[in-house]
Amino acid sequence: MSKRKHDISRRQFLEGSGAVLVAATAGPKLSAQLSSSIQPETGGATREVPSTAIRLVVNGTEHRLEVEDRWTLAEVLRDHLGLTGTKIGCNRGECGACTVLLDGKPVYSCSNLAVWADGREVRTVEGLAHGDQLDPLQRAFVEHDGPQCGFCTSGQLMSARGLLTRNPHPTAREVRAAMTGNICRCSNYNRYVEAVLAASSTRDAKTSDRGAGRSTAPGRRGAKASARAGGA
Amino acid sequence: MSRPSKLTPLKTIGHPTARIDAVERVTGKATYTGDVHLPGMLYARVLRSPHAHARIRQIDASKALALAGVKFVLTHENCSVVWGAGSISGGRQYVDDIKKITRHKRYLFNNPVRFFGEPVAAVAATNRHLAEEAVRLINVDYEVLPFVLDQEAALRPESVKIWPEGNLSPTAKNEMEPEVYRRGNVEEGFRTADFVFEDRYTTTYVHNAQMEPRLCVAGWEGDKLTLYTPTQGTSNCRHDMARDLGIPDEKVRVICKYMGGGFGNKNQNQDADLIAAVLAKETGAPVKLELSRKEDFIGVHGRWPTTQYYKVGVSRDGVLQALQLRGYSGMGPYRKNTGGIGGIELYQCPNVESVTYPVYTNRAVSGNYRAPEFPQGFFGIESMMDDVAYKMKMDPVEFVLKNMTRKSDDEVPYTNYTLEECIRRGAEAFEWKKRWHPPGADPGPIKRGVGMAFMALRSPTGQSSAVIRLDSNGRYTVFVGVTDIGAGAKTTMALIAAEALGVPLSNIEIVWGDTDRCPYSVGESGSRTTDMTGYAVIEAAHDLKRQIAAKGLPKGDNVLIASASPNPTSEGKVRKAFGAHFVEVEVDTELGRVRVLKYLAVQDSGRILNPLTATSQVKGGATQGIGMALHEDLLYDRQTGQPLTTGYYGTRIMTHLDAPEIEVIFIESDDGYGPFGAKCIGEAGIVHAVAAVGNAVFNAIGRRMKDLPITRDKILGALV
Repeated sequence: MSKRKHDISRRQFLEGSGAVLVAATAGPKLSAQLSSSIQPETGGATREVPSTAIRLVVNGTEHRLEVEDRWTLAEVLRDHLGLTGTKIGCNRGECGACTVLLDGKPVYSCSNLAVWADGREVRTVEGLAHGDQLDPLQRAFVEHDGPQCGFCTSGQLMSARGLLTRNPHPTAREVRAAMTGNICRCSNYNRYVEAVLAASSTRDAKTSDRGAGRSTAPGRRGAKASARAGGA
Repeated sequence: MSRPSKLTPLKTIGHPTARIDAVERVTGKATYTGDVHLPGMLYARVLRSPHAHARIRQIDASKALALAGVKFVLTHENCSVVWGAGSISGGRQYVDDIKKITRHKRYLFNNPVRFFGEPVAAVAATNRHLAEEAVRLINVDYEVLPFVLDQEAALRPESVKIWPEGNLSPTAKNEMEPEVYRRGNVEEGFRTADFVFEDRYTTTYVHNAQMEPRLCVAGWEGDKLTLYTPTQGTSNCRHDMARDLGIPDEKVRVICKYMGGGFGNKNQNQDADLIAAVLAKETGAPVKLELSRKEDFIGVHGRWPTTQYYKVGVSRDGVLQALQLRGYSGMGPYRKNTGGIGGIELYQCPNVESVTYPVYTNRAVSGNYRAPEFPQGFFGIESMMDDVAYKMKMDPVEFVLKNMTRKSDDEVPYTNYTLEECIRRGAEAFEWKKRWHPPGADPGPIKRGVGMAFMALRSPTGQSSAVIRLDSNGRYTVFVGVTDIGAGAKTTMALIAAEALGVPLSNIEIVWGDTDRCPYSVGESGSRTTDMTGYAVIEAAHDLKRQIAAKGLPKGDNVLIASASPNPTSEGKVRKAFGAHFVEVEVDTELGRVRVLKYLAVQDSGRILNPLTATSQVKGGATQGIGMALHEDLLYDRQTGQPLTTGYYGTRIMTHLDAPEIEVIFIESDDGYGPFGAKCIGEAGIVHAVAAVGNAVFNAIGRRMKDLPITRDKILGALV
């Protein structure tokens, strides 16, 4: 890949595409709590990396973290909270493997900076089951052979969870439309649709959405629009 | 899915069974390579060439090295490791002797660089952002060279030479000759034929685009390397790593538990594995090297693009007399695979000649992608034959039934033969006669059309190994060197073991994906794991049953251990799976858009061991084939030699909204070979899908689409 001097960094890119919207809506202020950390290395040029203290509620558990401003939500979940069930397939908002629920809505966690999620509720695949009791979607994914390689599965599950929460009994067409931001290169699309429809016919299709908040404050929509999974 | 079967039912095999690891996969607990984190781990990134062809005059990494936390920079100046599987004469990837003689060695870092995206340097640093920043600080002075992208143009005398010997890639004997197959005499055949047709078809570079980009974690303990990497063959990867690094095989441990697909992208070792291993050695710390999606698209490999010239001679009654192919395969600047063009073997014909030129170009490197040489070749020849049938005023299905293969190379019998049954059953279930109409006859503007294509695909037997341990609690632990690319190898091995041992599935535990714990396995490529490693599991189970009969069940701390390393043959016969796809499309003649309305896949893959996962495999293959037919392409800018569509959006991978319902019918058979008669399935779904879609488009609009992908602009252009 070309690494020319004018290449922009992830932070610059994400800010260019979304941060303006964040500032314009009720999202967290990027300037709030701004602090800096110095790379703890010696023996060479050191770089100041801006970081921010944030509060995340992940799968019902509160975390207070000092995050570098350039870290994505996916990165923080995987590398800093050990929640590796969320996968990174493209790291650029194309494939949906990293889909999580942010305040109940499916978003691409690779395309949201962690600082944007300050004060918000995140739900990942690890938070779907209730102890040993799988979510109806997880049960249906097992029975209908949803995952082949399984790499897109967490994202498919979270998009489907978001769909069933707002529309507990979707049609096949609605399932496809809601999940089309989740690519499956094994191309097990038929199976995923079957599974979501099967889960939607169970009694607890909607009610399983415990824990994570379902706040859909209209003011936040703008911030998420650039990183919505599916929703065609 | 329906399964008409005359086979004797089995107890565990043949029933829809959820994957034994499905819960891990839906709860996020399955551990993929990216989830591995070792203490003190460094992160690596690769600087790649921004030119399609250039000589490196100088690399200045001083600014990168001056950054605190940057530990090492590798370039061609301080690393001369040869990546053996990266370029091989003849493209014979598993043969060490050929790797020794090959003239066109591929180093981890080459000078000149020969394609956009070729590694120029690699950095190890304390975190990934720092590594990315360091890569941006490396200054490279390039002398930009002329380049060539097209495989036919590259063979013209005026073309730039990518290698001193020219752009024809050498054979396995290092001779600059095309790959040739002949039987009969084609010139004589064309002389006696009543009609002769000629045409040209092209296919493009299609990327595997598996969900998990290539990455690895490498760490050394003393002189032993442990490599976590998504590889489709842990045994082959280990051997490749050891050979390339000049250490014994036992000094390498390869671990791959779960992997996010591959479709051939993850065979053997990858340069990323070697780069991480070398960086880990140099820095004394474990190294994680992650490729971005774009790097995976341009830095690993995809399906080779082809140009195919066909000449076909037929008699007045529509029987093939002569069949000739002259083909060109674009390999990129390194030969990672054969560059073959499959398809000639699908037809019965007395006079056949196939001449294929594997050609070096300055595109991204080509290699394995699900049935490496078949979907592109089957598209060419089955489109050509569909066109011949049309010109001969014959129903395409009748033409196929008259001319399809009945013996391998018209000579060697198949272990069993169900091709005709697949086609007839498919035509009946699809209501072919009712749906078919003369090409372009639908008045439109949205025109419907139907198409059909068939396949016969190699399903070889061969060597693999398995070990089974029985303890006094009645646990059967099966050790197999498989990885689980997504086809469900673990579950399949457990089903086979349970059936062969006559015990419940829940008594079986699988140990897999670790070369220090598991014996050799052929690897998840070429649709061989079920056939070969599955057969080894049966043999090991038989051994265990003999031991139980002789010694009784183990008691206390005792265990029984059985093993097998069979290398079965099909006794002089040729083993193939058969199938036929039938598809109905609608083409919007005002917008050029194609939609698949109905898709039927009829498949004989021998006995179906697990109808649930087998059906998923066929559906997935067919859906990928539709994408290849209609929109997938790695487009290049002809002025700069830069790839333009290096991601999911650009290359237009199939999505939920694109994917039609795929109906699957299995015709089951047991030819007496393979585990309980199972044949290949993983690649069998895609090979003829592309041609079936193309033929349906022809039937809809009455214009033959000869260049993949069949995008809107091409359809609108054809209709002008």
